[in-house]
Amino acid sequence: MQGKGPPRSLWERLGEIDYRWLYALSLVLMVIPILRPFGLPTVVSEPTKGYYKAIVDLPPGSVVAVSFGSSLALLDEQEAQFIATWKVYFQHDLKVIFYCTYADSMIILNEELDKIVKPESYGKAYGVDYVRLPYAPLGESGEAAFATNIRGVYPTDIYGTPLDEIPMMKDINDHRGIDLIHFQYTSCTDVEFVIRQWVVPYGKKAIITTLGCCGPMAAPYYPTQIKGFLSGSGMGTELEVLSGNPGPGAVMSDAKNLGILGLLLFLLLGNISYIGKKFGGKG
Amino acid sequence: MSFARRELPTIILTACGVLMLLAFFTPFEAFTTIKGTLTSWTIVVAATSTWLGFAYMSYAQYRMYQRNPTRIQLIYFITPFAFFSLFLIVGISFPGNVSSPQYLWLLSSIYQQVGATIYAVMFFTLASSAYRTFTVASIESIALLLGGVIYTLRQIPLFPVFAPWLVPVGEWILLVPNVGGGRGAVICAAMAALVVGIRTLWGKEMTMVEA
Amino acid sequence: MKVNFWEILGAWVGAFFVISVMTMLWKDNPYFRFGQQAIIGATIAHMVLFNMKNVINMALIPISKGQLLLIIPFILGLMTYTRLLKDYAWIAKYPTSVLVGVGVGVMIAGTLRGQIIDQVKATVMDVFAATTATDTINGVIIAVGTVTAITFWIFTREHTGALGMSAKIGRVFLMISLGANWAGEEVWYLTQMIGRLIFLIEVFIKGALLGIA
Repeated sequence: MQGKGPPRSLWERLGEIDYRWLYALSLVLMVIPILRPFGLPTVVSEPTKGYYKAIVDLPPGSVVAVSFGSSLALLDEQEAQFIATWKVYFQHDLKVIFYCTYADSMIILNEELDKIVKPESYGKAYGVDYVRLPYAPLGESGEAAFATNIRGVYPTDIYGTPLDEIPMMKDINDHRGIDLIHFQYTSCTDVEFVIRQWVVPYGKKAIITTLGCCGPMAAPYYPTQIKGFLSGSGMGTELEVLSGNPGPGAVMSDAKNLGILGLLLFLLLGNISYIGKKFGGKG
Repeated sequence: MSFARRELPTIILTACGVLMLLAFFTPFEAFTTIKGTLTSWTIVVAATSTWLGFAYMSYAQYRMYQRNPTRIQLIYFITPFAFFSLFLIVGISFPGNVSSPQYLWLLSSIYQQVGATIYAVMFFTLASSAYRTFTVASIESIALLLGGVIYTLRQIPLFPVFAPWLVPVGEWILLVPNVGGGRGAVICAAMAALVVGIRTLWGKEMTMVEA
Repeated sequence: MKVNFWEILGAWVGAFFVISVMTMLWKDNPYFRFGQQAIIGATIAHMVLFNMKNVINMALIPISKGQLLLIIPFILGLMTYTRLLKDYAWIAKYPTSVLVGVGVGVMIAGTLRGQIIDQVKATVMDVFAATTATDTINGVIIAVGTVTAITFWIFTREHTGALGMSAKIGRVFLMISLGANWAGEEVWYLTQMIGRLIFLIEVFIKGALLGIA
């Protein structure tokens, strides 16, 4: 944004470049790898390894409760995490309870679980190996309610079948029937829900999947209170690589390669401008 | 009447809170049962009050139009109601309700696209703010810049190919200094939450109820 | 591969909304506002639909089957609407008191141990339970970061002398944390933007405009 007045120095002009140049440059750089993928390798991080280990180390027949609270608007960021994780569940001898804590979650499960992951293709049967509970606006109090009395929160599954009539749920009505609690959510503070309502009162093993910005906020709880976490689509891609389940993460990761360069260029220019103004005088 | 307006809500609040604490700190099943009942009731209360959102939206839209009664503002006023009605009618009219193909079409074409794009454009607003603030002006801003840039580069597959050290350093930033600072923040925030929580149960902090 | 009319229309509608929201990067304009207002109405309808179903399944059906105790939370939920009426808004304090009381109670119970004691314990164990020299050094750094970050939040004394030095070090650690958060956020938004571009290129341009699968 150019203003009128006396001529400005090079350093001042470098620090006042119109943002729209940044936007245009970034957009162009983002499109290139979409059209021409690079296919670069992904390195797996420690929290992802811990996350994966927490799942595969479960004894056969263990029960995982998935508190699923994602949004359709955030599917780009989290789809890789969900699909890779759910495939790992169904590749192992685990029982899975999906319960929805956000309105979109039921729709995501319909689309992603039933149509993409397809539990039946792993030899899993609904009601025996996995069950889907509907949406309820839980919040922290609701999580406490679920851990205390599942039927008090979810009297039926998504098909309207009472939980007592579902073979898998016959002996499960609270935290005692659950071996691993998995929070899949979009809020940075929800990690505290799992700590306060599952880990502290019942000593449950916990893992979380969340957005990229929430990973650093979950790190203080790792590995003592949460055994692993996935934050962002990048870690979803790492899980795809680690578990051998290729998915949408690879495309996303590849496409990020150049998009960040515009930002880095502007950060560099901003700092050159600052240093120039501070030490270079009128340039 | 003052008792019903002030003291009684406080008594109810305190009683509910204390019952939750008793369920945690005592071994009696009765308190666990009460906790299960009360916590499941909160879900029903929250679900039942959902139309409040519509009421507040209507009021906010009306106030916006009142402040600026132009034709374009009238269009902005009508738009949320139009889409509210569209989604509601489609969501209850077709077989399957919110699982019907018609409702899913609306969700994927409008709801998902707008929601995702609003987050997407934040990339640019965050980048333009970083352009101004991520400078080497002080030790703190250098720490902010280095922590941000190195961890960003660690997450992009291209950069570790040319600079393999980004992987261990990026992870070290996440799991060591970030944890140090983050733990301090967690402990302080938890202490503050504890104090506010106890004051609330004591009846000294009624802002959440009064609001 | 044939695409049907609704898929093509969906691509056009979706592209319209994506581009209309992206126009805000140029400047605030009616197309962006239209998209913004559209999602406000859509989101509220979406939540209303799902929550109405919850009320029926969690309250009305069980009540009709004899679980009369559920009348209490249902009535409490209805009482929240009184806050819209100036003279009766005080009635809404009752359901709010239940919600706040239960919420605070479940929060306090877990906070003391989960977010204070266990975090302090983890900080100490990072130093003394470390098995290698690297882990010990990292543990010491974490401990220094934790303690100094805590001193930063002491506002009852002026940050001078030792406290001032500690708070300054704590600020550095907090800035690194903020930088990591910023990095996570930036890459998240980048992913979202790439997702929208993939939609525009693959679904709209290739699918709807050019008819390429």
